[in-house]
Amino acid sequence: MAQLAEFLTPGDLRKITSLQVLARTVVEGFCTGLHRSPHKGFSVEFKQHRPYVHGDEIRRLDWRVFGKTDRFYIREYEEETNLRATLLLDASGSMGYGGPDHSKLQYATRLAACLSYLMLQQQDSVGLVTFDTKVRSYIPPRAQTRHLHALVNELEGVKTGGETEIGKVFHDLVPRLYRRGLLVVLSDCFGDVQNLLAALAHLRHARHEIVIFQIWDRDELDFPFRSWTRFDCLEMGDKRHLVDPNHLRESYLANLEIFRADLKQGCHRNRIDLVPMVTDQPYAEALAHYLTLRMRRP
Amino acid sequence: MTFLNVALLGGMAAVAIPVIIHLFHRSKFRIVQWGAMHLLESVLRKNTRRLKLEQLILLLVRCSIPVALALLMARPVITGLEPLLGSRKMSTIVLLDNSYSMEAGGASRSGFLQAKEAVRQILESQVQGSDVAVVRMAGGVSVLLDEPTQDLERLKAEVGRTGAGFGSAAVPDALDLARVLQAKLQNPDREIVVLSDFQKVSWSEAEEPARQAMADQLRRGRIEPRLTLFKVGQETTDNVSVDAPLDLSPLILGVGQRVRVHATVRNHGDAAYPNLRVVFRVDGKDRSVTETALLPRSTSQVLFTHAFDTSGSHVVEVYADADPLQADNGAMASVPVWDRLPVLLVSGDPNPEFLMGETDFAEVALRPYGNAKAELADLISTRTIEARDLDAKALAEPRVALLANVSQLTDVQLKALEAYVREGGGLLVFPGSKINGPWYNSTFHGGGKGLLPLPLASLAGSMNVAGTHASIVAQHFEHPALEMFNDPRNGNLSDAQVRLWYRLRDETAPGKGEERLVTVLARLDTGDAFLVEKKVGEGRVIQACIPCDAEWSNLPVRPFYLPLMQQMTTYLASKVYPPRNVEVGRPLLASCPSPTRASAR
Repeated sequence: MAQLAEFLTPGDLRKITSLQVLARTVVEGFCTGLHRSPHKGFSVEFKQHRPYVHGDEIRRLDWRVFGKTDRFYIREYEEETNLRATLLLDASGSMGYGGPDHSKLQYATRLAACLSYLMLQQQDSVGLVTFDTKVRSYIPPRAQTRHLHALVNELEGVKTGGETEIGKVFHDLVPRLYRRGLLVVLSDCFGDVQNLLAALAHLRHARHEIVIFQIWDRDELDFPFRSWTRFDCLEMGDKRHLVDPNHLRESYLANLEIFRADLKQGCHRNRIDLVPMVTDQPYAEALAHYLTLRMRRP
Repeated sequence: MTFLNVALLGGMAAVAIPVIIHLFHRSKFRIVQWGAMHLLESVLRKNTRRLKLEQLILLLVRCSIPVALALLMARPVITGLEPLLGSRKMSTIVLLDNSYSMEAGGASRSGFLQAKEAVRQILESQVQGSDVAVVRMAGGVSVLLDEPTQDLERLKAEVGRTGAGFGSAAVPDALDLARVLQAKLQNPDREIVVLSDFQKVSWSEAEEPARQAMADQLRRGRIEPRLTLFKVGQETTDNVSVDAPLDLSPLILGVGQRVRVHATVRNHGDAAYPNLRVVFRVDGKDRSVTETALLPRSTSQVLFTHAFDTSGSHVVEVYADADPLQADNGAMASVPVWDRLPVLLVSGDPNPEFLMGETDFAEVALRPYGNAKAELADLISTRTIEARDLDAKALAEPRVALLANVSQLTDVQLKALEAYVREGGGLLVFPGSKINGPWYNSTFHGGGKGLLPLPLASLAGSMNVAGTHASIVAQHFEHPALEMFNDPRNGNLSDAQVRLWYRLRDETAPGKGEERLVTVLARLDTGDAFLVEKKVGEGRVIQACIPCDAEWSNLPVRPFYLPLMQQMTTYLASKVYPPRNVEVGRPLLASCPSPTRASAR
């Protein structure tokens, strides 16, 4: 069955200015179609028994109660999480590509809001780190539903900043994220791949599980420029290149492929999930990916 | 290397177009705020040099397209490679000497035959697409078939029909024509072949600078042609010629009148002719023979006289029986012989008493023998009519009409008279006491469009007061009608005393580019015009400022009056149009009389 949220593209949702409303719309639209309710959770505490009804899974029968009472009871669990998720949102200059309304940063903040909502719905605790050259803000993970307000407020205030130094920032973050958990990185990962991989390895070494939603703009992947263009650097204003893109496209795309391959390989080596997201993709795809990941956890 | 179409080289300016397009595109760039700069920069770092080189090559290729186009359209011609390329299309100009001397050596093996054979070989050796022009160098430089042609077969036939024997070759003119023809040639490989016997007559040292100048001009052309001089025949050292045209006198001939034929015999060679026979032929029959001594490189004059016994057109020839080169040994001329010369005298003041009528003196002067009842022949026959009898019918026969003191003419008469003059008739106009001055000026002169050469201004002088009289200025006359008075034995025009005369308003100063139509033949010592002439159509009008009788002057009783009147009349009648004796190279004209005139006759 198709999921409603899959049809909700960022373009359709652009009019929703409130991140919270947006997050709820996306997440609930997404969850409506799931076969197995995420509300049941996976790491749960026993809540109650209830009589078996036709259609319940046999593996969930409480055989001990059956032994005592000769009746079928199903064990129900109270949802409880031990997942500490931290969203690492890149607010560097390069995330500003695409203009004020379609920027990668906007996509990333909205995606962050949706993820936060989803996680909080599942009783997971969520924290948020925004950074560019250094860490801009840090909201520690909490599991309360009202924590969403704090996250959304922070997300709404995010502006693009300076140059990405993602490697250094991650190194700095290691001591602050002292409890191991899930790190969700929302970034374009632009910069030196080796530095980034070293920092990620550092985080992995601290036994964090990492998923990277790499945010792309379609232009960065297709390089659709035809006429003479001056490329002004978003991170360093003085860098300008006046070029005829027709002559560069091939080399650029080849270079891009190398970059992506390097990153993918590095992530795979460190057992990091790298999920490329293009700003015209529905947020639901990211959510689905998160849930797949979540299900893998004990 | 040269260009046939230099102007199109200007198209090379189009080289600027790719540059301008490049700069235009460069200046019209869009600005993108770009995030993935690290991906782009490494590309730029790696590719900048290669891209610059590529773009430079591309720009050069684009720029070279208009340049190459312009170069090709300018039709570049690379000369000097012919030996490497073997036989190819050529443009050839053959200068063919067809002068007298080319016929030396007899009809079967003359230089001209050799030259024609050479031309034939040249034509046969041309490959398809070659164009050739054959220029005749003598007898008026001209091109066969009017321009260079690729139709070599036709040209060959035309060359076969060409004959020699046309005076001497005009070498500088021929070279000049070759220069003009060059512009019409199609092929870049050019050659000029001169086929001549290189006689001293044609290739004289005096013409050396002119030849040099022409050769320089040829060389300075866009494509320098190769020049080949091809000597044919032998130079004949032994040559005598009779100069054409023959010098004939007098102006007009009647039956029985003697014509004097002067001829100049010229010896071009080094052989002396102590007793050179010169034959005078009329209509192909030998009439008289004279002998003259001709030293090497000298000339001699011979004179023949002859009286024709029949009227009509006769051919006279002076022939020197000398060297084998026959073409220039004789000179011919056509002589029209009139049985009589009818003159119409129109009197405005007739008087039956002898010598009292207006035209009586003129009649006596024109028909002296007839009036004297002598046996001698008068060429001129006169008929006197009154002004009112003048009409187209009266004008049908006479060759000259004379208006003496005619008051005025009706419109019909004037129209008939105008038509008569325009078709070649002569008109003499004498004023007098009876003339209607305003009509003469307004209608007869008609502001320069009428027959009368000059309008009448006022009467000058007086009949009685001494000291106011004028006489005719005796000067050197250029005009053929007055030429004979350059010799004082024929009478002195200044003897006559003119008491009263019409001052003619001399308006002959021509405007810019206008041909002077009116000529003053003689003047009075007061400066007033005495005789003026105007050309109207094919005929001429002579106007005098005094009457032709003895009323205002003593002219008619002076000895020169008779020859003057005869000369003027014969001059007006001698206009043989179109001319019978034309020089080689001049067009020969024939006129058909208009149907009305023909039927009137």
